[in-house]
Amino acid sequence: MQKFISQQNLGHLLDKLIADGKRVVAPRMEAGTPLYGPFADSAGIVLGQLPRRSAKETFFPVCEDIMSYGKEGQQVTLTDVNPARFPETVLVGVRPCDAAAVPVLDAVFSWDYQDEFFLERRQKTTIVGLACTQADDACFCTAVGLSPADPKGSDLFLTPVEGGGYACETFTEKGETLVNSHKELFGEPSGAPALPLAEPQTEKFDLKKVKAWLDDHFEDPAWDSIAVRCVGCGACAFLCPACHCFDIVDEGTEKAGKRRKSWDACGFWKFTHHASGHNPRDLQPKRYRNRIMHKFKYYDDKFGQTLCTGCGRCIRFCPVGIDIAAIVSEISKK
Amino acid sequence: MTNTIDTSIYAAITEAIQGEARRILSEGHVSAVVGYAAARRKGSAQPVVITDAVRAEELIFSAACVNNLAVYLTKAKKEIPKTGKIGIVVKGCDLKALVGLMGESQLKREELYLIGVPCAGVLASTAQPAQELTGDTIAPKCRECDAHLPQECDFVPDRQPATPELAGKYRAEIARLEAMTPAERWAYWKEQFKKCIKCYACRQVCPFCFCEQCLCDRNKPQMVETTPRPAGNTAWHIVRAMHLAGRCAGCAECERVCPMDIPLNLLNRKMAKELKELYDYEAGFQVREKGPLAMYDEKDDQSFIK
Ligand code: SF4
Ligand code: SF4
Ligand code: SF4
Ligand code: SF4
Ligand code: SF4
Repeated sequence: MQKFISQQNLGHLLDKLIADGKRVVAPRMEAGTPLYGPFADSAGIVLGQLPRRSAKETFFPVCEDIMSYGKEGQQVTLTDVNPARFPETVLVGVRPCDAAAVPVLDAVFSWDYQDEFFLERRQKTTIVGLACTQADDACFCTAVGLSPADPKGSDLFLTPVEGGGYACETFTEKGETLVNSHKELFGEPSGAPALPLAEPQTEKFDLKKVKAWLDDHFEDPAWDSIAVRCVGCGACAFLCPACHCFDIVDEGTEKAGKRRKSWDACGFWKFTHHASGHNPRDLQPKRYRNRIMHKFKYYDDKFGQTLCTGCGRCIRFCPVGIDIAAIVSEISKK
Repeated sequence: MTNTIDTSIYAAITEAIQGEARRILSEGHVSAVVGYAAARRKGSAQPVVITDAVRAEELIFSAACVNNLAVYLTKAKKEIPKTGKIGIVVKGCDLKALVGLMGESQLKREELYLIGVPCAGVLASTAQPAQELTGDTIAPKCRECDAHLPQECDFVPDRQPATPELAGKYRAEIARLEAMTPAERWAYWKEQFKKCIKCYACRQVCPFCFCEQCLCDRNKPQMVETTPRPAGNTAWHIVRAMHLAGRCAGCAECERVCPMDIPLNLLNRKMAKELKELYDYEAGFQVREKGPLAMYDEKDDQSFIK
């Protein structure tokens, strides 16, 4: 279904959704940093810049309680979190590189184990994607087969047009339901041309060739030269829309506490630290190798997909300038 | 443009660094040189470790050479084998961290070959690497730099850096926070810490966070909540600030790399200010055995023990 919505009506739409009791999540400023988050009215929405963290946290929060426990004498009580209570959510203003990562994540969260926390939120969320009109030289969605206008992962997709407002296209039933339930705010397609889209400069990767090299080069001196400078933080994995590792810890006292799930990263030394003291990934190049292998080989082996949408966040915010686009492009030329 | 900062000497410095690195590598004075090399993004630079004199031509210095390379010489970075003497490119602010590490017996002066850089400033984390260095794009630490010319290095290109007069941001911001009520200040930091995702980039780039196992990573027993939630985040930031008090020499790497824009150097600078007032001590200028917080003196003020 093709429609048009004005800037003003988009604001009205969000306000109505909030009034209807829906949770609306969109980019806004939080203590000076652009982040996706829930809000109370449409006034604070910031669509001009890529949020610092990706939209994955809508489904996979930075940290969440998954169980609580209490102990009184010999009596132990365990209380599960009830995912049925997660709210209906509309996620708005999602960049193509963020939206495209969501179906990629579906594969791992519904594989051998059904992760009810992720899947319940996923099922209850409508994603409103937004075409990208600005790229910098860290962006490379086009290199991994996406584009600034790719609706992958979006239920409803907005493209800014000349003269203001957005051309809207629905791609799923969820998207149609959203439009149909607020028909009065949408008009017929205006025919106005789309604003010029962003033009990421990176050439397209030959992902098959990249994978073929990775298949044969678990051991290779290149890993040392690539990652000797890596300092082993979680910045790249935490900002990434596709990284999905998490840790589970119990926190509290002997008497009461919570079991919590929070983001983890293969860049950390303790990620593979065994209870015995042995660490199979003892040096940083082995950890960084896992990052590349997981994204361009293992995920492909397992699910036939690439675990990178080219958002460029890990490039912009790597403390030591490690550039995954440069690395993959180099591998594709080997 | 009026507030452009003159970085024209960086080209000559690049050439001098290359020449010196080539010489010390080929003459066998050092086994490796840690420096900066150009990277893919326009104008960008990244740390590089060079062991072959032929590769000395990759070394550069520009306003995008933001890293404090001292972190690569600490025992936290096992990837770089520390055999023999190592050459390292240092700005004045980086050198303060090296001096601190020597004071803490982490490094020996005779095992280092210091290539000092006359430095007019580097870019802020908010700037794109290709941007010109101006009063707006310069890193906040450079606005109040007192080490444009590193002292006591083995080699320093003979150039005079521009030393622009810029209003200090940290001093003003600390004064603003000091003027707040404790409740207002608490609210300010709570908002900031709430954003923290415990990526530990701030810890990993810090030359002084060289512990084999960070107390904040422990889970048997758990010392600090490891999850990124308000309680654990606040605890983490207090531990970080306190462990750096009297040691942090102000390279501001933690603040530069924080992907959540948390102004960590304000905590560091505030600690440094207290140390200066209480002990007339400033980190990073002299190789000392111990900083004031690691030292006991009978003349110390005991009045707080009740
Ligand atoms: S690997 Fe980097 S560029 Fe790719 S999706 Fe993740 S953060 Fe974005
Ligand atoms: S790349 Fe690393 S952090 Fe990201 S999902 Fe894979 S293993 Fe996890
Ligand atoms: S690649 Fe960069 S962001 Fe990722 S762990 Fe290494 S230093 Fe941190
Ligand atoms: S603080 Fe001083 S020495 Fe350090 S980068 Fe800035 S101007 Fe250069
Ligand atoms: S770098 Fe920033 S977000 Fe990461 S742990 Fe440090 S303060 Fe938190």
